[in-house]
Amino acid sequence: MACFERTSPALKEILLKIYRAEKSVEIDHQMHEFGSVQYHVQCSASDPHQTYLSISMPLLSEGLQFTSRLPNYTLDVVKGIYPDVVEIIEPPKDGYQLTLRLNFARLPHSKVSTKIITEISSVQAVILGSQLKAMLRLVDSQEISQGMYKPIKLIYHPGEPFYVIKQPAKITAVFPMRFKENTDVIIATTFFQELVVVGSTGACAKAPHCIWSPIPPPELRGEPIEDLSTNGGFVSFDITFRHVEGKKLDKTVWNLLNFYTFVKYHVKSTRGFIHRRMRKRLGDLVEILQNAGIEEEEQIKNKVQGFKSVRKLARFPRPEILKRRFNFSKKLKRIRSRLKIHGFSRFRRRWLTMPKFSSVTRYTKLK
Amino acid sequence: MANTSRLYLTCIRNTLEAAMCLQNFPCQEVERHNKPEVELKTSPELLLNPVLICRNEAEKCLIETSINSLRISLKVKQADELENILTKKFLRFLSMRAEAFQVLRRKPVQGYDISFLITNYHCEEMQKQKLIDFIVQFMEDIDKEISELKLSVNTRGRLVATEFLKQFI
Repeated sequence: MACFERTSPALKEILLKIYRAEKSVEIDHQMHEFGSVQYHVQCSASDPHQTYLSISMPLLSEGLQFTSRLPNYTLDVVKGIYPDVVEIIEPPKDGYQLTLRLNFARLPHSKVSTKIITEISSVQAVILGSQLKAMLRLVDSQEISQGMYKPIKLIYHPGEPFYVIKQPAKITAVFPMRFKENTDVIIATTFFQELVVVGSTGACAKAPHCIWSPIPPPELRGEPIEDLSTNGGFVSFDITFRHVEGKKLDKTVWNLLNFYTFVKYHVKSTRGFIHRRMRKRLGDLVEILQNAGIEEEEQIKNKVQGFKSVRKLARFPRPEILKRRFNFSKKLKRIRSRLKIHGFSRFRRRWLTMPKFSSVTRYTKLK
Repeated sequence: MANTSRLYLTCIRNTLEAAMCLQNFPCQEVERHNKPEVELKTSPELLLNPVLICRNEAEKCLIETSINSLRISLKVKQADELENILTKKFLRFLSMRAEAFQVLRRKPVQGYDISFLITNYHCEEMQKQKLIDFIVQFMEDIDKEISELKLSVNTRGRLVATEFLKQFI
């Protein structure tokens, strides 16, 4: 899926909301995730401890697409999540492949409850992963039945199928890579070439043998042409017994299911990285051109060098320095300031004002 | 300046120094208009012979001169597909922000990756020597940046590939 986390964030939030609700709540949510997974969460106020979770999703293998029931090994995995809390309802709700009854009253009141709810929210990843797990478990089996070498087409994300081919002592997973843009193709191709080189070095010698080829591998001969027409080539991983033993199985399954997402994430972040670098370089180049201005040069020429105190003095001409030191203007102002004599203003108005003469060209207002 | 491209860049610098003697010249076709003659090419007497400086088939520089303007077009080397997209992306990124450079042309001349248009007004506003320095520095920086970007993309790819494969071990 388009998300590296196994848990569905929306489903987890709803389940936690139901679990933490102090009052009984009536919830009937239907939601779609990644365009292919559909959830239905139901909780009635009359029976607050029982929550029903129904899931519908395209199955990994096309052969199982139209069967209404999940395979037994998948159901066993789901049952194993937390048997006290999770119960599978038979038959599932109409239009869904799996219906679970969740009894939150039996959840322990501690941090474990959040962990269990997180596990329940990742049920779709568990279901999809279980199918690939069942295939990978057969890696060491020597029995070869009819059509064993026939590639099995798996669809984890719509429009991005990959193939699993059982071969003696190994299982080959082949990913036809498609990208929308030419830039993405080139960045991804660089990554695949590095993947092949790194896979053959000593540090990753125990990792699955990786091959990238621009043409389809011979194992895919006979597959529909639309599945084999790619622009990013084909990446193959050879999974041996070493990669599926014990706890490694889970990781291997998850890595294979998320290989597309991983590559796309790498391409996207590389594009972001290139853009960041370009933006930085743009700033540097603009700065060079800005320094080419004529004003800049004049400013540099005028700049006086030397000690701070001397530089300060050098900035002003000599009269300015003298003016600053002996500031006469203030003294003159103080000398010229008016002396206040009581009744002088009335005397001045009476005897010292000049009479106003009207201009010859102007009209005088007649009273 | 890298030793390998020193001669190429020196040649461009000398040519630019000779070509960048621009003066104000009003348009002869339209009254009260002042247009870069190197773009219009209406009067052949106002144009000088274009100079093409080639380092190799993939790396060249075209300098077209007229009485009031100068056009410099560059073709940057692209050794492989990754260099090709990096160059295209970077030069397009710069062209989209041409207003920040003043002398950068929004659209490159046919057959080239990036073009500059220097008019007599630019020469009046900026120092001629520094303008030439900028063009040469730009060419050097583009080459350096593309090489560094290519190296970084490969290194990132290697690190991510190592991390991915380590998950299987």
